[in-house]
Amino acid sequence: MSESVISVSELTRRFGATTALDSVSVSLPRGAVYGLVGANGAGKTTLIRHILGVLRAESGSVRVFGLDPVADPVAVLSRIGYLSEENDLPGWMRVDELIRYTSAFYPKWDDAYAEELRQGFALEPSARIRNLSKGQKARAGLLVALAHRPELLVLDEPSSGLDPIVRRDILGAVIRTIAHEGRTVLFSSHLLDEVEEVADHVTMISHGRVALSAPLEAIKSSHRSLAAAFIAHVGAAPSAAEA
Amino acid sequence: MRSAGLAIGWEFRRRHLWVLIALAGYLLVLAAYKVLIPASWEPVTLDPPDGRVGVALVPLSTTFFYFLAVFSFGLTGDLAARQSIYPTRLFALPVTTRALAGWPMLYGAATMAGLWLGTALFARWPWGVHLPFIWPALLAVVFLAWTQALMWMPYGLPGLRVIVTVLWLATLDAVVLLAIHYQVREPLMVAFLAPQLPLAYLTACAAVGRARRGEVPDWRGMFARPASNAVMPRRRDHFPSPARAQAWFEWRRHGRSLPALVGLLLPFELALLWLAKDAPAFVFEILFLALITPPFMAAFTAWTVSQPNPQIRESYGVPPFIATRPLTSAELIAAKLKMAMWSTLAAWLLVLVAMPLALEWSGTWSVVTERVGRMSDAIGTPRAATVVLLILAGFIVATWKQLVQSLHIGLTGRAWIVKGSVLLTLTLLILLGPIVEWIIDSSNVQRALWHALPLILAGLVTLKMSAAAWIATRLDRSRLLGDRALVAGAACWVLAVLALYGVLVWFFSTPFVAHYLLALIAILAIPLARISAAPLALAWNRHR
Repeated sequence: MSESVISVSELTRRFGATTALDSVSVSLPRGAVYGLVGANGAGKTTLIRHILGVLRAESGSVRVFGLDPVADPVAVLSRIGYLSEENDLPGWMRVDELIRYTSAFYPKWDDAYAEELRQGFALEPSARIRNLSKGQKARAGLLVALAHRPELLVLDEPSSGLDPIVRRDILGAVIRTIAHEGRTVLFSSHLLDEVEEVADHVTMISHGRVALSAPLEAIKSSHRSLAAAFIAHVGAAPSAAEA
Repeated sequence: MRSAGLAIGWEFRRRHLWVLIALAGYLLVLAAYKVLIPASWEPVTLDPPDGRVGVALVPLSTTFFYFLAVFSFGLTGDLAARQSIYPTRLFALPVTTRALAGWPMLYGAATMAGLWLGTALFARWPWGVHLPFIWPALLAVVFLAWTQALMWMPYGLPGLRVIVTVLWLATLDAVVLLAIHYQVREPLMVAFLAPQLPLAYLTACAAVGRARRGEVPDWRGMFARPASNAVMPRRRDHFPSPARAQAWFEWRRHGRSLPALVGLLLPFELALLWLAKDAPAFVFEILFLALITPPFMAAFTAWTVSQPNPQIRESYGVPPFIATRPLTSAELIAAKLKMAMWSTLAAWLLVLVAMPLALEWSGTWSVVTERVGRMSDAIGTPRAATVVLLILAGFIVATWKQLVQSLHIGLTGRAWIVKGSVLLTLTLLILLGPIVEWIIDSSNVQRALWHALPLILAGLVTLKMSAAAWIATRLDRSRLLGDRALVAGAACWVLAVLALYGVLVWFFSTPFVAHYLLALIAILAIPLARISAAPLALAWNRHR
């Protein structure tokens, strides 16, 4: 655990009258698996979009690898693997075209690892993305996020709406990624058991504010479970909040 | 709201309410103009065209095409896909397939008929030609009904929907034009058009039924190359650079549309040469038609090129997949510009190959060589060759420019800018006719314009250069372009301006045209400000 990979300080973001993020400060140390937990609409995706530079900080600051992701997108994004909640891979591409296209952007792209992942995920090279199932699309997105062995892996609600087998693949990928020394994972989810399984550090976010941010062990020592901690600090378990 | 029909109608009305209000306002303004200003009662002529024709035609024809897109769900669907563009979310509604097809057709028919009747009642000028009351409304309804049926049909090949629809509607249009030409009586027109409505409805029911059952024919196997099947996985090298990969992405996404559209239209246009053997003037009209096809079609395809997210029709934001590419916004724009260049060259290659072949095979080649020979005799061979090359280069550059000049609008991702720009363009188109007519009709205005020409050109150049300087400053400050790239870009632009200026000076070697005027024209002709603004627009959208 050395310097911060992500450093967010006093970040506030408003969309019209809605405050999506309210003075959020988080710091991600290198080599950790960081779980971002909250109900839908809590501000998880907004925070991740700031980290990727897709949203510009209105007030406060965002630094990734010590750089401003808006001012220097190439230096930041070339070190990040990102799996979007929207899974917006181009439907017209074939799987092999997606791999070939994505590999061009990352100097550290590992062809052998990409092929290993493709076979492990049972993705046909000639299959069009638009013809893949939701789970297969998630796997294809995960493949291109992982195959360049990113220093920072950002997964935004990666298993939302997916079956247990695909969720297992994603969690397995997170575990494999952290097996590489010095790599960091930011993992947003509203599924507490999933986060509990892999996270070292958990940040609970509610109505745009950080409700709790602590190492998982510390949370577990003070609460019966992550769900109990969530109810104590946020008010209701994410699934209940959604309903 | 207890009826499925009312719910479907409410959705159309709710989403397009502002367009309906704008249309009603426009018709009322036209009606008021007609009532309050007696001069507007003077007949409007179509041949030669009266400037006021544009005032009536542009908004109404735009609304007509807008309604075609709305009621066929063309605004939200993927026209090139094999699958039906009928929204799949509606298939889950507990209503019959006939109702799913019938309600949008009924609302569309009522709206189209209302558009014509509103035009006829409130806005039609005494055209000087007799326009019947019933069959144009029926034609609009039939046109929409066939558009809906053909759009909702699943097809065996990607892009087949566009080809089938264009050919079918063009055939229908041709029959109607012939009927107008031969002054066919209204009852006969009604008898021709009315039976098509039930036919279109039955076709639409069949189309929606197939789409609802998930039946999509697949004929791609008949055209697939052996190397592209799963048995023989394709082996390709890596892209040499991220820029090449992004250019490939843009080409695959947008680059083939323009050559495909040009390739679709060109055979029909050039086929007319076989009818024009004895009419040299007609040969040149056909050639002109073929030459303006690429820039004209580029104006349509530019809309998709400048859309940040073509996968979601009504979304203006950059999709995360593109926004998170480790490329600068300037590199993303460079890929688009490169794609536009290849797309332009591919489209022009088709034109330049097809045109001489068609001239030769139709026996009209001699008409062209004879005219070029006369021009060569009159102004000399070098000048004649320069004229031909300049015209050709002008058309090619115009095609590329059409593809890229709206990037700085579409890529901002702000709906109000995109819609405002469309509104402004339509307003300018509406005003263009009356202004041109005013200039043509008044020799005083022409004289004043001629005297003020240097000032007007200087003003435009000042505006362009000020905008370019501001954009360059912003590009530099935001670090979207490095100093070296900015200087190199400026140097290329200056070289292009000097080259064009040199050609113009050589060509117009006359004391009647001052050289500084040619310099101003060269500065205005070479694109600079709008293209330079595209990276700023994308960055504004990409980092919101």
